Amino acid sequence: MTICQFFLQGRCRFGDRCWNEHPGARGAGGGRQQQPSGSNRRGWNTTSQRYSNVIQPSSFSKPTPWGGSRDQEKPSFAAFDSGESASRNRGFGLSQNPFASPGSDDQKDDKKLLEGIVKDMEVWESSGQWMFSVYSPVKKKPNISGFTDISPEELRLEYHNFLTSNNLQSYRNSVQQLINQWRNRVNELKSLNTSTAIALDGVNQAAPSFGFGNRQTVTFGSPGFPVNNSSSNSAQNFSFKPSSGFATASSGSTPVFGNTPAFGAVPAASSAIAAATPTFGLRKPEITSAASFSFKTPAASGFGSSGFSGFSPSMAASPVGSPVAPAFGSGSSAAGFGSPGSQPHTAFSKSSSDTFGNSSVPASLSFSLGNTTTDNALFTPKDQLTAEELEQFQSKKFTLGKIPLKPPPVELLNI
Amino acid sequence: MAASVASALTGYTSGFSSDASGRSLTILGSLSQGNVLELLCYTYRCLQLTLSLFSSKCFIRCVCTHSAQASICDTPGAVLRARAKMSLFGTTSGFGSGGTSMFGSTTTDNHNPMKDIEVTSSPDDSIGCLSFSPPTLPGNFLIAGSWANDVRCWEVQDSGQTIPKAQQMHTGPVLDVCWSDDGSKVFTASCDKTAKMWDLNSNQAIQIAQHDAPVKTIHWIKAPNYSCVMTGSWDKTLKFWDTRSSNPMMVLQLPERCYCADVIYPMAVVATAERGLIVYQLENQPSEFRRIESPLKHQHRCVAIFKDKQNKPTGFALGSIEGRVAIHYINPPNPAKDNFTFKCHRSNGTNTSAPQDIYAVNGIAFHPVHGTLATVGSDGRFSFWDKDARTKLKTSEQLDQPISACCFNHNGNIFAYASSYDWSKACCFSYVPLSLNTTWSVGQKSWNRL
Repeated sequence: MTICQFFLQGRCRFGDRCWNEHPGARGAGGGRQQQPSGSNRRGWNTTSQRYSNVIQPSSFSKPTPWGGSRDQEKPSFAAFDSGESASRNRGFGLSQNPFASPGSDDQKDDKKLLEGIVKDMEVWESSGQWMFSVYSPVKKKPNISGFTDISPEELRLEYHNFLTSNNLQSYRNSVQQLINQWRNRVNELKSLNTSTAIALDGVNQAAPSFGFGNRQTVTFGSPGFPVNNSSSNSAQNFSFKPSSGFATASSGSTPVFGNTPAFGAVPAASSAIAAATPTFGLRKPEITSAASFSFKTPAASGFGSSGFSGFSPSMAASPVGSPVAPAFGSGSSAAGFGSPGSQPHTAFSKSSSDTFGNSSVPASLSFSLGNTTTDNALFTPKDQLTAEELEQFQSKKFTLGKIPLKPPPVELLNI
Repeated sequence: MAASVASALTGYTSGFSSDASGRSLTILGSLSQGNVLELLCYTYRCLQLTLSLFSSKCFIRCVCTHSAQASICDTPGAVLRARAKMSLFGTTSGFGSGGTSMFGSTTTDNHNPMKDIEVTSSPDDSIGCLSFSPPTLPGNFLIAGSWANDVRCWEVQDSGQTIPKAQQMHTGPVLDVCWSDDGSKVFTASCDKTAKMWDLNSNQAIQIAQHDAPVKTIHWIKAPNYSCVMTGSWDKTLKFWDTRSSNPMMVLQLPERCYCADVIYPMAVVATAERGLIVYQLENQPSEFRRIESPLKHQHRCVAIFKDKQNKPTGFALGSIEGRVAIHYINPPNPAKDNFTFKCHRSNGTNTSAPQDIYAVNGIAFHPVHGTLATVGSDGRFSFWDKDARTKLKTSEQLDQPISACCFNHNGNIFAYASSYDWSKACCFSYVPLSLNTTWSVGQKSWNRL
């Protein structure tokens, strides 16, 4: 076949349909971009996950090239790309370096993902696009918590309703509050550093269906929470509550800290967290949405009481489940947790996705409890705990610096 | 309100009158030429101010967004900026779009930059949806639902002239309209939680559907063994109605509020909040076919199904608020290769280094013959794309208002788009929509494939 001249110049209009030959089409991309096809990345991901000193979510799924394959980046289409902005290209391009080792590859992926998130936040802020939208960093992942979906029509309907009741000021106030919440969340995400980002990752990894049912039947306002409701009032002025979890999403993070002042950290202040690695895993609940909190509260009525603030709710809400388990074990032995760590993950995500729509959290909890194969990994038998750890678990709140690295014993779980 | 406006206009002698609703205000004052009367605007309600100047013979009709409450003017020293623009009801005399020159000078008027034909007596408030009649009806009839609670019908002649034909009212803004397959009925979905069937011959409209929340989408399904109306609502349900019965034939639960949907038998796609995406198959009876991971990162805004060469629905285009459209095939031979997304409705084009403005994609429509797609966005532009060659075919000039809806007629000769405020700037309080007037144009577009 004749070589296609346009392809060599990087501007063949016909792409695959071209009757001429495109030399080195797969992977060369006309020499314009440097990303090889996604299959390279896939190969690396099938190797076993090595837990380095950074917590790795047990099944880090391949970040599917955003927007489809890059093979289709046939040059001349200035208007089209494979869907990636420069930042995301960078994020995934690096991960596709075939010479990267598997372990560091995951790490780099996370870092690139984090950078991608930060970049996206910046773009979101500067571009003037619609604020009230959910966001997810990569296609397969669930939505990042703290954002809610409000369509322009819904907002406009609210405006009309307020207009008829001659109460425009409260409409303006509500919108202003929503804007503030959004802005806070965006700033939070922009200031993520690596450790917290991994937490975010792990959370988002665990349940692809997370975005789907999690906010439907949320019961916020459980007595266990010292709820900071000031920001939650905003959305409640609206007749629609898109997700009752949302109103609490931003305030939802504070209850965690209200309950466990041992953490002592404000969500955005990662410094306190970075300081104490053992608290690392326990910080995760703060990043998950309040919906997962609200799932927790029916399940772990002793949220404040028992020391399982980090752990038992994590069983209830799968997104937090798996990453937390390894976090607890990270201190003891990374390898030891490597394999069992993966099991609870699948067990959880399976159980919770089954029961997710029903929010029958106790059901999922009992399921995982009944799963004997993972029992040992999930809980430490009482005799393996030191006295101090036992005391921590039994106390109402964790004390910073003394938080046990091992998971709590099953007996102390308060369901 | 009058009093507070008066206090704000320090230095001007003024008299006030307001109409019964307290919402319009006539200020008679003497202003020396060159003074700018400025009105700060906080909310989005249109208020019409008529200013008559003593000294000059001009009068300015100022349309500005203005709160109906007096509180707007209680900021001390509030300066009110008047934006002179077209009137509310269809006449298009434009005065300068800037605030400063108020005496009839015309700056560039981007009201209709494409010089398309403007539809007469367009609705009074934003247009949410457009729909052309099916091929079974001779001629072209256009239906538009608006936020003024009405649904209007025009006949569009081959010359492009539009003749208003009929109108129906809801008790809430109309969010979606569709035609029955025989072209005798129009179905309308509204924020009043109902959907109505409008018989055009008798000009009667009856309610056929009821939801617990505003009905966002409505589509007519014509299957060999049944026909029904599918309504998607913010109450997270998808209901199927036989128009003769007040109980739905079927109710399907959605994971979240329905934001947009499209139907081409036997496929239906529904995009919901929280980036939900579900495909239904409609043979025998509607059932969920697959839930799809959203290819987009942000809120879904609009969806349109496209067909393959054999005229079977094979995939859909999904638009989001982030200026991006995803093309997704249902069963492609090579998903990673065949599915893709592209950016559109951004201010900087492909120059991604400079911060660009990103606009929502408000509507997607596929040309019935060529399979090319049109997207309309909040930036006030519409674009045509070829998804197979993955090229952009054309982008229009920028209109002064966002384009909120679009539609092709049954043979693709006519493309209608509605230019009206789509609430995309609701987050910015300092934004002053130039007016809430809605105009829309019917452009004769003949198509060549490239």
